[in-house]
Amino acid sequence: MPPIQPGQDPVALFEAHRAEIRRQKLWINLLLLGGFVAMLLWSIDVSRFWPDRLAAGVPRIFEYFGSVLPSFQWDLLFETRNAEGRFPPGSIGFWYNDFWKYLALIWETILMAITATLIATALSVVLSFLAARNLTPAPWVSTAARRFLEFCRGVPEILFALIFVFAVGIGPLAGILAITIHATGALGKLFAEVNENASMKPVDGLTAVGGTWAQRMRYGVLPQVLPNFTSYALWRFEINVRASAVVGFVGAGGIGAELNHVISFYSDDRVTAVLLLVVLTVTAIDLMSERARHALIGKEALK
Amino acid sequence: MTALSFADITDDDVRAVRQSHPQAFGDPVMRMVRIASWTIVIGYLLYSFHLFEFAKIFDSSERAWRLVSRIFYWQDMASWHYDQIYVGIAQTVAMAFLGTFLGTIFALGIGFLAAKNTMPFGVIRHAVRRLLDVFRGIDGVVWGLVFVRAVGLGPLAGVLAIWISDVGNLSKLYSEAIENIDRKQVEGVRATGADPARIIRYGYLPQIFPVFLSLSLYSFESSTRSATILGLVGAGGVGMIIIERFRAGMFDQVAFVVLNILIVIAVIDWGSGLIRKRFIGERGH
Amino acid sequence: MLEFRKLTKEFNAKRAVSEVTLDIPPGQMVGIIGRSGAGKSTLLRMINRLNDATSGQLLHDGRDVTALKGRELRQWRNECAMVFQQFNLVGRLNVLTNVMSGRLFHHGFGTSMLGLFSAHERAFAVRALDRLGMAHVALQQTDTLSGGQQQRVAIARALVQEPKILLADEPIASLDPLNAKIVMDALRAINVEDGLTVVCNLHTLDTARHYCDRIIGMQDGRVVFDGTAAQLTDRMAREIYGAEAAEAFNEALTSTSLGRASIRDVADATRAQARATV
Repeated sequence: MPPIQPGQDPVALFEAHRAEIRRQKLWINLLLLGGFVAMLLWSIDVSRFWPDRLAAGVPRIFEYFGSVLPSFQWDLLFETRNAEGRFPPGSIGFWYNDFWKYLALIWETILMAITATLIATALSVVLSFLAARNLTPAPWVSTAARRFLEFCRGVPEILFALIFVFAVGIGPLAGILAITIHATGALGKLFAEVNENASMKPVDGLTAVGGTWAQRMRYGVLPQVLPNFTSYALWRFEINVRASAVVGFVGAGGIGAELNHVISFYSDDRVTAVLLLVVLTVTAIDLMSERARHALIGKEALK
Repeated sequence: MTALSFADITDDDVRAVRQSHPQAFGDPVMRMVRIASWTIVIGYLLYSFHLFEFAKIFDSSERAWRLVSRIFYWQDMASWHYDQIYVGIAQTVAMAFLGTFLGTIFALGIGFLAAKNTMPFGVIRHAVRRLLDVFRGIDGVVWGLVFVRAVGLGPLAGVLAIWISDVGNLSKLYSEAIENIDRKQVEGVRATGADPARIIRYGYLPQIFPVFLSLSLYSFESSTRSATILGLVGAGGVGMIIIERFRAGMFDQVAFVVLNILIVIAVIDWGSGLIRKRFIGERGH
Repeated sequence: MLEFRKLTKEFNAKRAVSEVTLDIPPGQMVGIIGRSGAGKSTLLRMINRLNDATSGQLLHDGRDVTALKGRELRQWRNECAMVFQQFNLVGRLNVLTNVMSGRLFHHGFGTSMLGLFSAHERAFAVRALDRLGMAHVALQQTDTLSGGQQQRVAIARALVQEPKILLADEPIASLDPLNAKIVMDALRAINVEDGLTVVCNLHTLDTARHYCDRIIGMQDGRVVFDGTAAQLTDRMAREIYGAEAAEAFNEALTSTSLGRASIRDVADATRAQARATV
């Protein structure tokens, strides 16, 4: 704001200045809006999100969801197996004919997630100490560790799963390895940020004692960051459960393969049967882990 | 008691200290708990290594080597059909953008339905929240496949998949942001005698807008990542190219495509950082 | 014998410590005084190599400390324990573990990562705490203690290192007068009873005069005074402190001091205090 000259009306000056700022802001905002609209139109065109396709597609969505919903007959709902050992159509038993098979696969999915989370946590603890700029034994180690973590979390799990299915064959091992690598990248970055916020005073203290680098990390830093690490690991576990339910799409174990098979080949109530089980599992694990996290750190400390 | 050296500590000293400060030697119960929990964790890991046949890793060296060498050794780069690759990437970004945009619009309404302070009817709130749980509980790829079954192969299924995931995620985050609103600011505006429209404009919006914008920008970035893999199930975008060339063993091209996607995502990250800075200020969210 | 030979430290072309040449014989209690930024802290931290010298040498019993590396460096650090202004303990660990961490140099990778300390080490750590009257809080989480208590825990950690030299970097600057006295009494007692060399940065003149055999005055990275308390005239001291003279003279925390106490008195006093509060 220019200094007020004698004889000038300060109110008028203020108004003029304000108007100028508003004009500038308006132009930039209009420009951004223009860019936004252009981007929107472009993406509508590129993804072929055209009205005629929508008009044809949307009814089919409702049709499809109508066909995959279970059709219950209320009088048969809790009917058990009949003489031929089958559930009558319209009962819950018919809907969940393959319940035990699904349950076994969900169990495998959860175990995959637990194993991957444990290994990823262990790896990322070590990597995070190397990557944290304030703790790293040498600057180039930090840079190398950071690039490595970026790579790990940059590539989606399912791509890693594709690669590992090729390398170690179809089965849960490929999925575990894929999730482990991706989760290591994500957790390693978060852990490194926690490390960078840790107080260096205890570390100095342990240097003065004559401790090795590992000892300084173990005694000087780990006690400070452990609650945060645990909370992040639990949070990652929730994500890993979702991931391990999906890696089966490319043959990497868990419920995913069944999910893929059911959705691709049937359009009946089996689709909702599997999906519902997956949703229930994921939600239940979310709830439990959220409880644990809140118990670990006050509710506020977590974003 | 004067100067003392470690070498002078005898078993008798240990016994004496054990007597006077028994806790200093560790609580035996806690020690058992600690040992037990480590045993469980390590035992579980060993069991799962066995269950999931981790030994297969060591049998795979030949295939893994072939894969890795192809990833790093790029050949015949002239015949890679770059046009397909870049059209695929553009389609992926477009799908993500459109899906996030539609998701944001829906979440704007649903977020208010799921927030405690704006939706007084518990029944509706809980129903909305459970629906959102379903949207979020099913991964984007699964939604992709579902929509491919419903509307056929192509990017439309991808947009719908991103849209539904984003509605689930954003609505929940929006509703949390609405619940975390600072009531004092609203009361301050109300105290000036403002009408409801102005209360929303000056009391709520300045608090909510930056958070919403920031969440949607972040969502765009993460949707671009998920849009990449939607093609694996035929829901459009560059993923279709990835899976096609992967199946054909052209790992070098897959690596090239992934590298390009990572760059695009980095650019989006940078761009959304700029926008965030402009509308929200340095502190971000 | 600790010999400084033209020891110099530069930070971005600015000299923090400039060609310091000194001899410190074993068993001496040395106080380094000077205003803030005079280079006291840097000098002290160069002794245990928390800061590396830019040029010059530091010899201990003929061994070149400035050239030590790896395990030998850690061994040297283990031999010259340090006490910090902010205590630099691990707040989330209990007191005993903090003290036992003074033995980490003697541990291999495995036992230290698993946190396995022997019964002898535990007994030794308790004895060291007891010497400072702190054994009753051995299992308390360290950051629940007061500053004075934490500093005594830090001294106990230094003691279990069984050092030859004890460095104290402004050990009482964050403490109230009573705790400052307890800590200084403890340092002096260790010096007398264990025969340790104690090198101590002090901001206040009276403390240095009261406790130290020898006072070194620093100004702009140089040693400008080196002698006994009696040799340090008021005029000299005013010159060393410059603009901060008033502060340094007024913070006469030990002006009401009751004379030097033995470490046992310190321990007894705090034990009595602890009993009274229980």
